[in-house]
Amino acid sequence: MNTLISIFPYAIGFTIPLLTAALGGLYSERSGVVNIALEGLMVIGSFVSAVIIHDLYPYLGSTSLWIGLLGAMIAGIAFSMLHAVASINLKANQVISGTAINMIAGALTVFLARTITGSGNIHIQMGFIPTDIPLLSKIPIIGPMFFTKTYATTWVMLAVLIISYFLLYKTPFGLRLRACGEHPQTADAAGVNVYTMRYIAVGISGALAGLAGAIILVTYSSEFNGNVAGLGFLALAALIFGQWKPLGILGSTFFFGFAATIANVSQVVPEFKNIPGFILKAFPYVVTLAALMIFSKSSQAPRAAGEPYDQGKR
Amino acid sequence: MKGKILLVALLVAAVLFVGCTKKAEQPTASLKVGMVTDAGTIDDKSFNQGTWEGIVRAANELKIENKYLKPTGTTVSDYVKEISNLYDAGYRFIVTPGFKFETAIFEAQTKYTDAKFVLIDGTPHAGDYKSVVGPNTVSIFFAEHESGFIAGVAAALQIKEGEMGFIGGMEIPPVQKFNWGFQQGVAYANQNYGTNIVMKPENVVYQGSFDNVAAGQQLAAKMFDKGVQAIFCAAGGVGVGAINEAKARATAGKKVWIIGVDVDQYAEGIYDGTNSIILTSAMKRIDVAAFDMIKAELEGKFPGGQTLIFDAKNDGVGIPANNPNLSPEVVAKVNEVFAKLKAGEITVSDQQGNLIK
Repeated sequence: MNTLISIFPYAIGFTIPLLTAALGGLYSERSGVVNIALEGLMVIGSFVSAVIIHDLYPYLGSTSLWIGLLGAMIAGIAFSMLHAVASINLKANQVISGTAINMIAGALTVFLARTITGSGNIHIQMGFIPTDIPLLSKIPIIGPMFFTKTYATTWVMLAVLIISYFLLYKTPFGLRLRACGEHPQTADAAGVNVYTMRYIAVGISGALAGLAGAIILVTYSSEFNGNVAGLGFLALAALIFGQWKPLGILGSTFFFGFAATIANVSQVVPEFKNIPGFILKAFPYVVTLAALMIFSKSSQAPRAAGEPYDQGKR
Repeated sequence: MKGKILLVALLVAAVLFVGCTKKAEQPTASLKVGMVTDAGTIDDKSFNQGTWEGIVRAANELKIENKYLKPTGTTVSDYVKEISNLYDAGYRFIVTPGFKFETAIFEAQTKYTDAKFVLIDGTPHAGDYKSVVGPNTVSIFFAEHESGFIAGVAAALQIKEGEMGFIGGMEIPPVQKFNWGFQQGVAYANQNYGTNIVMKPENVVYQGSFDNVAAGQQLAAKMFDKGVQAIFCAAGGVGVGAINEAKARATAGKKVWIIGVDVDQYAEGIYDGTNSIILTSAMKRIDVAAFDMIKAELEGKFPGGQTLIFDAKNDGVGIPANNPNLSPEVVAKVNEVFAKLKAGEITVSDQQGNLIK
């Protein structure tokens, strides 16, 4: 039990970038645009923040980390606009334009990284330092689980999650955005500009995906190496597993984060020694497959997700 | 129509003639040394970088021409393609780092008999692991166990008392030998210098890859949580994660250390401008190997057909010349031990025996 509690902080650290990316996917898909470019946008975010932090850290210290995160969001927005133009205005197949971004992102960043630094890797001097929250970390059980070794980005992202929940379910903006993903023609008839809403949603999605890539860099990895280890695709799976709902995503990403962490550290934890490593490593993916099969009948997917909006079609 | 055909004929002729002039220019005075990189970048702080540094040093000191090509993938055909590209560009001395080149070099050494090949950390074979070092190839190995041994002695002497751990990448011979040598080094210090370092079986792990940064960070975090003070990482990108975790802890005021691998990793572990969490590094002097072979070629003494072992005796392994985190007394003792290793008074086993994993 103590072991499980003690790996909580690391599991949370691993979960946050996944949650951020999945939340990005949520905005986009809720507005009716499938965004499988999350992976590519994360790579872009990771790259841009690495360059910014690498260059600014000697002058600004840890302030540069926040600037790096901001830069990653802006780069994410810029790149997601390619996806937005293709899939909203040009009515292209959204899966194809997403795939294109995934391919561009990997190639472009490695090319730029090699041009800038002479290699595909960009090392940052220092990331965020995990800290214990005063007082709260002293609470038995809950303290060591949630309030020790926390990254600043974790709290920022939890705040973003709560804001997203209110934004999507308690504001007119959220209602309009969801309406665009369910039945855009009706939304249009009610006076909502579907194109604008979808642009905004894809932009938010790009910002969050870029941020997710940057969070990986400033928390556990500290080195940009041309990919984000498939977390973008895992975030998509988590989005489906979480049934396109903010709290569902929180649950599904944490499930992935926790399972992956157990698989990673199982070797040094005597309690897990008897379980073969490959079973632990395959576990989250097997559960996802099973869950997708079970949920596929009662899927809560936005009805218009993946369909370009055509005003002439009723 | 006729005009078009004429134009095409002219173009073809032009291409042919250009080709001819190029060929005529080829035999230049200086040696052209090419390198094909393994997976990873030229500054991977490991094999690629070490090899390249040796070649660059040779370019500066011995006036050779140098170039490296990075294959698009990591299959044999990707490697052979880049070797052919180098050959076609006139590079007749080709250095390749890593065991993944074994089959590619086997193909190349028979195909390009007038070129010389240096294969670091591997031996050419046709895919059946029957070693065939061609007369134009030299195969180089390192005594990783001796490197791990001396780093183990140094780390144990500096830490004196407590627990240490090991994180390896894949469970393959070079990584295993580092691990076994390190354990023997720690045991040697415990026996002969009165240190009291414990290595628990659960703290000796192979992550299973060389690129899972997150797993490296989490493994290191868990080990440090359990009271491990220093971790020897022979794990590529997994080690990057471990170094990151150690830096975060050191910044928070904890005393934790990482022992680096392959090259001097001191600079990577710097966390507050000057201090580094890299205690020392178990080095393979890959740069020395690459440089020596180029030098031998220029002197006409290229040891073609041989398999060379770089170990303590020829300074092919060891710890860095500068170790700011080791006290002068420790460095003095380590030098004593290294001298004994060189003289053959100490032998380090490259087998598991009764060691952990």
